[in-house]
Amino acid sequence: MSKPSSRTASIFVLLALLWSFSAQAQTLSKLLKLPEMPKLPQNLQIHGFASQSWLMSSGKNNFFGKSSSDSGSFDFRELGLNASMRPLSRLQFSAQMISRTAGKGSPGNIRLDYGFMDYTYFSGESGQLGIRLGRMKTPLGFYNDTRDVPFTRPSILLPQSIYFDRTRKLALAADGMHLYGEHRSDMGDISFQAGVARPLVRGDEAEAAVFGKQFPGHLAPEISYTGRVNYDLDGGRVRLAVSASQLNMSYAPGVGDVLHAGSVRFTPVVFSAQYNAERWSLTSEYALRRLEYNNFAAFKNMDFYGESYYFQGAYRFTPEWEGIVRYDVLYTDQDDRSGRKYAAATGSPAYTRFAKDITVGLRWNITPEFMLRAEYHRVNGTAWLSTLDNPNTGDLSQKWDLFSVLGSYRF
Amino acid sequence: MAIKKNIRRSVLFVCLLLGITYAGVAGATEPYEIVINPSVNEKTLSKSSLRAIFGMRLHAWPDGTAVRVYVMPDNAPLHAAFSKEKLNVFPYQLRSAWDRLVFSGTGQAPDTVTSPEEMLARIASTPGAIGYLSKSMIDGRVNVLQIK
Repeated sequence: MSKPSSRTASIFVLLALLWSFSAQAQTLSKLLKLPEMPKLPQNLQIHGFASQSWLMSSGKNNFFGKSSSDSGSFDFRELGLNASMRPLSRLQFSAQMISRTAGKGSPGNIRLDYGFMDYTYFSGESGQLGIRLGRMKTPLGFYNDTRDVPFTRPSILLPQSIYFDRTRKLALAADGMHLYGEHRSDMGDISFQAGVARPLVRGDEAEAAVFGKQFPGHLAPEISYTGRVNYDLDGGRVRLAVSASQLNMSYAPGVGDVLHAGSVRFTPVVFSAQYNAERWSLTSEYALRRLEYNNFAAFKNMDFYGESYYFQGAYRFTPEWEGIVRYDVLYTDQDDRSGRKYAAATGSPAYTRFAKDITVGLRWNITPEFMLRAEYHRVNGTAWLSTLDNPNTGDLSQKWDLFSVLGSYRF
Repeated sequence: MAIKKNIRRSVLFVCLLLGITYAGVAGATEPYEIVINPSVNEKTLSKSSLRAIFGMRLHAWPDGTAVRVYVMPDNAPLHAAFSKEKLNVFPYQLRSAWDRLVFSGTGQAPDTVTSPEEMLARIASTPGAIGYLSKSMIDGRVNVLQIK
């Protein structure tokens, strides 16, 4: 009992510290000014970010490393560097390298996040039409395209119901071709992107993400489809989007593998809506995810729908200070929201099949380059906790707390 | 007693938090205009095109010249006035739109200038350039663009 109350106290101390620092923000911003970037050739832009988080959670529920230990976890770090060049007004080349450390699921290896060529076939006063070739981010909801970039997220952790790590590998990015277009008018702007691509599912982490544990064989990407339509009214006062993808993978069994050569199909559909006023923004997304496992022999074919949604409000006290509140719900199986059927069939706890998360958070933009964040989650259910960080689901507490602080720099 | 003290502290904290709401009220800005490099042939532009240009989604003028967008920092009063009055958006919306482009590779960010003098110099010397300036700063080296 003493642990949570001492945590609450430390949260207040931290917030108070944040606040007292704010008075010195002016001097701090001068101190933190790094040397100016050297002048780059016209049209070449280089941007990047580095962030470090600290997480502490109750019980034995680990999120991104050993966050339930007495010292919490520093095992959440994001580093990125990108370059883009526009040699012609119709042609752009872009690439980004990312290293993401996030518990056992993301060990921090440097990878090509995206790298593609973008050619605008038609561009005029009322719209544009173009093509992209290479590795593109998968357009899914409002946040998937930039999910590893702390400044673009509404909170330290994205709403885990939709953007949880287990399906992250499948929906992160894909190699292939996208078409995109936009039509602008006084009635608002409609834009779309749609493509054929192969998801990035190679590597042990992908198998762990898909099966919940390691197997001797390997997943291979198959031809997949992705698309999103956005509608922006009045310059983005109202933003609406519908995204849908069908991501296909096949499994090649290894030596002595219990699994046969099966296939996995992941079909997420996300509806997104946002209203932006001067001081506040309201955001909500709803996702339906179909997951199919076929012909693995070791277990029966599976076909079920996961369901997620969240409501989020953000309030900007000043351009520097922003607070957010969110209610976020995940059901692993829409037909078994309580997890009881699953518990009866497998003997695993029912609460591993849902998660209801109430989040409050604070963001402080110390300078345009430096950001500090703190947030608190009260969660009922463990559905989005990683099985890699929590190998024994029986140890988990159904109701748990998570507190996190993040510092981030960008240029 | 300790609890009472804590409550008093949290109340003070909340008051401070609400108090800062009133700190950021920007003063009225001088009259300003949208300015372009004289190489740009356009004299007028539709609002949706202006939004697309400052949203970094329209990359060329009708004659094919590349558009070069210059802005003041997000917290500059002139930037806020321009965003709200000419584009009908708030500076934070522009910043998040630019971030989405920059960090997904689907676009680039505008160039930020640090002073009105730099804005004038850059617009005057860069073919295809567009930005905004206080009327008192405008001279013959740049043209004024009207919004339809």
